[in-house]
Amino acid sequence: MILLHLFLVAITISTSFTIEVNPKIFINNAECLVDLSTQLVKGECRLSLENNDDKPVNSVLYAFEPSIKSHISYISAHQVFESNRLSLNVKPVTLSGHEDKQFYQIDFNVSRPLRSKGRAPLVVEYVLINALYPHPEEITQKDRQLMMFYGNAYLYSPYKSLKSSVKFQTGTRRVEDYTNINPVSFLSSGDVVYGPFGSLEPFAYSQISLHYDNNTPFLKATKLTRSIELSHWGNVAVTDVIDLVHHGAKLKGSFSRYDYQRETNSGISSVKSFKMYLPASATSVYYRDVIGNISTSNQRTLLDSVELDIRPRFPLFGGWKTHYTIGYNVPAYEYLYNNGEDYFLKMRLIDHLYDNMIIEDVTVRIILPEGSVDLDLKTTHPIVRLPDGLHYTYLDTIGRPIIKLQMSNVVESHISDFELKYKFPKAFMFHEPLIVIVAIYILFLTVIIWVRLDFSIAKDGQSETRQRISGITSAIIHHFERRASIYSSWDEALNKLKHSKDIGTYNTASKQIQTDYKNESTSINELANKLKTESTELSDKLNEVQKAEKNLKELFGQTQSLYTDKLITGKVGRNQFVELDSGLKRKKDECQEKINQLLKSLN
Amino acid sequence: MTLYKRYVSPVSPAVYPHLTLLLLSIGVFFTAWFFVYEVTGTKYTRNLKKELTISFVAALFTGFGLLFLLLWVGIYV
Repeated sequence: MILLHLFLVAITISTSFTIEVNPKIFINNAECLVDLSTQLVKGECRLSLENNDDKPVNSVLYAFEPSIKSHISYISAHQVFESNRLSLNVKPVTLSGHEDKQFYQIDFNVSRPLRSKGRAPLVVEYVLINALYPHPEEITQKDRQLMMFYGNAYLYSPYKSLKSSVKFQTGTRRVEDYTNINPVSFLSSGDVVYGPFGSLEPFAYSQISLHYDNNTPFLKATKLTRSIELSHWGNVAVTDVIDLVHHGAKLKGSFSRYDYQRETNSGISSVKSFKMYLPASATSVYYRDVIGNISTSNQRTLLDSVELDIRPRFPLFGGWKTHYTIGYNVPAYEYLYNNGEDYFLKMRLIDHLYDNMIIEDVTVRIILPEGSVDLDLKTTHPIVRLPDGLHYTYLDTIGRPIIKLQMSNVVESHISDFELKYKFPKAFMFHEPLIVIVAIYILFLTVIIWVRLDFSIAKDGQSETRQRISGITSAIIHHFERRASIYSSWDEALNKLKHSKDIGTYNTASKQIQTDYKNESTSINELANKLKTESTELSDKLNEVQKAEKNLKELFGQTQSLYTDKLITGKVGRNQFVELDSGLKRKKDECQEKINQLLKSLN
Repeated sequence: MTLYKRYVSPVSPAVYPHLTLLLLSIGVFFTAWFFVYEVTGTKYTRNLKKELTISFVAALFTGFGLLFLLLWVGIYV
């Protein structure tokens, strides 16, 4: 028994390598719904599969007609178990002998294979683009737009089917024509139903055509360039550059703005405006083109999104094109995560441009902060990754790493998140302010050097001397000011002594004051010697100041001795002390005043 | 993935305007001081150490001020 089991497993493994149609699977019942009411063809097939084989089946195939092969944009499959939706893995495969058709292999969940003699429901959803053809190809402004769809009346499947029906939803009651195949029914809602058919062989095909009114927007973005620029200062800037074309029936003849404004059904197939949905946290939204801002747009903040009502500069008729840029900012904390220096960005690779959108070529550029390394990207849909590059913008030196991705034939169902991991050294945040600081500092250094250069042709000895003298005198005055502040702190110390009578603290303070005083005095004396060689007149004046200053020092000395020798020891009466003290104070003030006067004349 | 936390900017974008005004005004003050010092002095009165210190402080504040100005106006560097 075990041997037999192993044998069976071996067979399943060996058969899984060469894909072929299992003739023992058949479709019990199939109901297909094809929505043709927009520019997209949206199909949904509910299949009930039965396995007549004596072993379980892990995957089944879904096929598309050769005529549809080039229009497939998106396909997905799911199963519903107890009202739980279970998505299944779908991947394109090729079968030898059927190269003209397009096959997709749908893998069942490992725990729920299609059991032997068992049945399983399966829902396949797909989106076709460019599968509707304007007929007539050119219309005038007042005409309605008619579309032609070529399809299959039967369910197209590699398996035999027992019962099936296909319903085409046109979304209008104005159906000009549809192919008559028995049984067919035209419902009052404008839907055309082919079937139910009885037993059908694999790859049953009977072409039908549907000719009907379709005035929904036929807008196609031929090119979308999306830039996602991340800044660690807390922002993600998203910019979409869009080339849009109306790919419905082309406009024949001239365009009359008068008729367009006056008659409600004039230019019914043209696109006046459309809505775009941005993330709810989007701020500073702009909408512009090569001329500048396009003011004919509205922005509304909804609960879960920001609705942008985009109205191009002119209504878009068949064959007309427009080009514009949409940009907005979103806060980084919504999409960026980090763990130390490891960062993780998770946001939408592409986003909603307009309802039922088609984008032919998408280029996404993810620009990371300067200094990011070890980029690791994960996406849900297969994507072409172009070689990484560098992007240079404000305050960049080594360039920002940029990831370039390409996709084609994208519809709304492709909207999904990407996950990007990278490393960023935290210290690199200071890179940008440092550049600014260094630049400004270089400017200041240039000024410092500039003022030291002498561009004069002839040497002016007189003004040179004058400058030198004024340099010395201003230095002297500076030192005198310093000395004045030393005197005032001395005064303070003496005052404190008068009240506290604490000789110890005074002595330590006094020591410091004396050394400071000595330093200043030696500086002044040095400068005074220099001044003597330059100008005798000023030197004399300085001597006078020095004399007055010596006088002041003496007065301070007297005060000190009055305090330490007489007041503390109590050798002097209160009245006498006050008299002496105020007399000394007056003299000190007079002396200081004199010094200030003399210093002023020094200038 | 569970180890990752939401990333928050080192400086909240809400305070960019205040930081800009504060840092730039301090920066402009020091810049003005520096230039006044440069033009009023002669080569006998200038002190290189003082010049370098004032200009460094001016550069520091103006640099950060300009950075936050860029961020405030929407140039996210």
